[in-house]
Amino acid sequence: MMKTHAHHSRGAPLSLLVVSLLLPLATLLGGAATATASDVPDNFDNQGKKLFTAQQRTPTANLSADSGGRTLAEFYALRQYPGSPPRIPHVVDLAFSGNETDCLSCHGKGGYSTEFDAFAPVTPHPENVLCTQCHAQTKTGEPFVETDWVSIAAPKLGLSFLGSSPPPIPHSLQLRENCIACHTGPGAVVEIRIDHASRGDCRQCHAAVPQSQPLTEFTRK
Amino acid sequence: MKLDRREFIKQAAIGSALATAGSLFPGISFGSWNRLAGGPGVLAWQKTPCRFCGTGCGLLVGVSDGRAVAVKGDPNCTVNKGLCCMKGYHSVQALYGRDRITTAKVRKNGTLVEVPISEALNLVAEKLKETRDTYGKDSVAMYGSGQWTIPDGYVASKLFKGCLGTNNVEANARLCMASAVTGFMTSFGLDEPMGCYEDIDHADVFVTWGNNMAEMHPVLFSRMLSNRKRRAGVKIIDFATRFTRTSQAADKTIIFKPQTDLAVANSICYEIIKNNWVNDNFVNEHVSFHKGKTNIGYGTEDHFTFSDSAETIDFEAFKLFLEDYTPEKVEKISGVPAEEIKYLASLYGNPSLKVTSFWCMGMNQHTRGTWINNLVYNIHLLVGKISTPGNSPFSLTGQPSACGTVREVGTLTHKLPHGVVMNENDRQMAAEIWQVPVENIDPKPSYHTVEMFRALDRGDIKFMWIQVTNPMVTMPNLRRYRDGALKDDRFVVVSDVYPTPTTDVADVILPAAMWIEQEGMFGNSERRTQHFAQIVDPPGEAMSDTWQIIEVAKRLGFEKQFPWSQDNYIEPIWEEYRRFHTGPKHEMAPYTVLAERSGVQWPFVDGRETRWRYNPAYDPACKNDKDFDFYGKKDNRAWIWARPYEPAAESPDEEYNFWLNTGRVIEHWHTGSMTRRVPVLHNAVPSSYVEIHPEDAADLGVVNGELVKIISRRGELTMPAQINGRGVPVRGMVFVPFFDESYLINEVTLDAFCPISKQPDYKKCAVRLEKA
Repeated sequence: MMKTHAHHSRGAPLSLLVVSLLLPLATLLGGAATATASDVPDNFDNQGKKLFTAQQRTPTANLSADSGGRTLAEFYALRQYPGSPPRIPHVVDLAFSGNETDCLSCHGKGGYSTEFDAFAPVTPHPENVLCTQCHAQTKTGEPFVETDWVSIAAPKLGLSFLGSSPPPIPHSLQLRENCIACHTGPGAVVEIRIDHASRGDCRQCHAAVPQSQPLTEFTRK
Repeated sequence: MKLDRREFIKQAAIGSALATAGSLFPGISFGSWNRLAGGPGVLAWQKTPCRFCGTGCGLLVGVSDGRAVAVKGDPNCTVNKGLCCMKGYHSVQALYGRDRITTAKVRKNGTLVEVPISEALNLVAEKLKETRDTYGKDSVAMYGSGQWTIPDGYVASKLFKGCLGTNNVEANARLCMASAVTGFMTSFGLDEPMGCYEDIDHADVFVTWGNNMAEMHPVLFSRMLSNRKRRAGVKIIDFATRFTRTSQAADKTIIFKPQTDLAVANSICYEIIKNNWVNDNFVNEHVSFHKGKTNIGYGTEDHFTFSDSAETIDFEAFKLFLEDYTPEKVEKISGVPAEEIKYLASLYGNPSLKVTSFWCMGMNQHTRGTWINNLVYNIHLLVGKISTPGNSPFSLTGQPSACGTVREVGTLTHKLPHGVVMNENDRQMAAEIWQVPVENIDPKPSYHTVEMFRALDRGDIKFMWIQVTNPMVTMPNLRRYRDGALKDDRFVVVSDVYPTPTTDVADVILPAAMWIEQEGMFGNSERRTQHFAQIVDPPGEAMSDTWQIIEVAKRLGFEKQFPWSQDNYIEPIWEEYRRFHTGPKHEMAPYTVLAERSGVQWPFVDGRETRWRYNPAYDPACKNDKDFDFYGKKDNRAWIWARPYEPAAESPDEEYNFWLNTGRVIEHWHTGSMTRRVPVLHNAVPSSYVEIHPEDAADLGVVNGELVKIISRRGELTMPAQINGRGVPVRGMVFVPFFDESYLINEVTLDAFCPISKQPDYKKCAVRLEKA
């Protein structure tokens, strides 16, 4: 009934491996058989499956490691407005292999780059492989003409509703469904990096309340 | 070739200087809450269990200048070890909604008029007495809640059952865990789980039976995720009728057709036996086999009665019964491929895996709720995976004191704090502790919840006092029961903290103290009793539900039974109540211990809590010198039941071709009367919707947000469609969260219930859809 997505076919061998290591009996009995009726669709609840998958697959050390090498000011400096695709802040040599998805060799899982002497930020949406469709290269710092563009401010940080309560998610989740990618690990921006992701379910505590929407109060009708 | 990275950033920063200087958002009020004038800014932290679900997380509430201002997880509480969910973290904001009820109101000539609370209590006592004198003792009723504190429920039971002599005491927990109780009673002879949350730290496999734990018991769910991360090989299997956040996190989701969990559970047992995975020693020593009545009905008609009768059978007869449930046959009923059933059986059957099953409303709100509880116990019993760390059939509860107040105090028509009204010894004990003549306690149960509201509609009940619950949103087939409550000579008293559709039908509204505005105790899902002191003052004339009942009891002349002073009543009530549970099977901790600790598990014997019952390594009540002692049943065995698959009360047909399923979202708790007044939770999910499968939506011609009319044989409701939102139902099913009083989905649902537990099924009825 449900379409089998590429995401699942990638995931299947891994889960098969786990099953066969631990449950030889189950595998013999067809435990890893696919049941199309029960394939969990990808595209609901802000694609929350990405979050759980990332939490499970990211090594524990990477969930809490920090480099302090990237700041929020640098993060927004690459964007025209909060939520816009950041420009590519380094030279891209497309002749490197001729393969667009080479971005993912660094930005898929992150890790240290000797070339840039920094930890690569991890993309929250590696399934969109044509990176340069949205992320522009920078060939010049000079504008063609000056612009009167103004943007809204970036979401404020730490706006908990109560002292000590977890801050809500202040931004839209579209294309940023995987909290783990941007908020954990040595490539994360220091101001928004957290080290308690091993708990596993970010949205258990952090409600989605984008700051770009007005707050309303409940009133009885 | 390299552009210097730092240099580049600098250039880029200049380019977007305008952006960072941009204006603030209009309409945002973050941080604009009223600050405490003259507050010292210093917090005193005080412990309490959370106000919301049955998990029973320990919270520390920060108090400044007499107001609750912050929450953090209590690191001393083993339930949550310092973590909460979004509801818990913001729970104290639920105290401060602007429309809080702070004065009593009495309906005069159709209009609610504010009166001093003493005048309202006078009227309640007068009306109660007058109704009882005119129409008899069973014309008055108390309808309470799994959010009652233990003292609330205790004094309600003492007044109505002990003093007024009516068994018309029920609680909304009938709607949420009655099937769990009858499941425990029929399988083990004693209520409440044998295991505890620590099972999560030991189990290799978790099977969630119709249970979206990621949203409904998030703190326990993230403890599972954290275990899966930490320990190799931990798996979560989501056995469900709809795709949810739990499905996204699970290692595997297996979808079954509504109601067919009965058949799948039997099929798992069939496979366990067929593959010789039965733990013979355990079964021979600790299990006996039984069958009960079949074709037991659905209770949709007034005055429906049913009582089961157990017949002992042997293992061979049980095996014969299971012949109808081969995986291949069950695949046809359930839609679950035979291979998946075999896979589930292999997890339970593998002797090297520890398995914990979790369930809550999916199995309890079920017209065969008692049966499906029995059947999951059957699985665990056949393989002996029970009462040991990590091996646990675990029934979760949805309210903070469904266990503590309703199940343990016994605020149900047939129950007493110890035992049942039908038992003479139990009546004797209650009469002695309550200091009432034993003849006062009626040996015959009266009305369970659905029948109680039917009796109100019929006029058999004329006076009803409702505390800490919102039945005018939550009763199934709601229209009938609201019309009944509004009839001319019905008198409805409602004690609550905010206006709700239930206070809308009230003749008297009593302002209630909420949660930490009073002292009290809750009891959570794992037999843990949790005390909280009064941390802040209640607003206006608001009064604890316990004290409201005591005030009325005194007005009715029961000073002897309610002798306590308003300065100190919780401690003596607790110590009186505790006498009912003396002995190693249910010993409760003394008040002084409860006051100090972040929850104490019963049985609490010789200063020690009992984590796993029926296991002599942990449970001092075990006496048989064997590896387990199932002392709840007279034969000292756990009972396996042959229970068949029978269909739902109402299934989709040609005319009404969709299943309707109802439930919750993580942000809102029950009818939203508290959580909707918490800004962050309301803003995250401001209103309800109907989840539809994308293909069904396309067939209907609706896109996200367009209106859909949901029509059943009881009523209809028009609300916005949600497609690929929080959850995705399978084709042919819709799902509606019930928290929103603007969309009363229970006008559409069916008041069919499990004939044994009398708990209604909110998960299954038939509807058709129209584009509105």
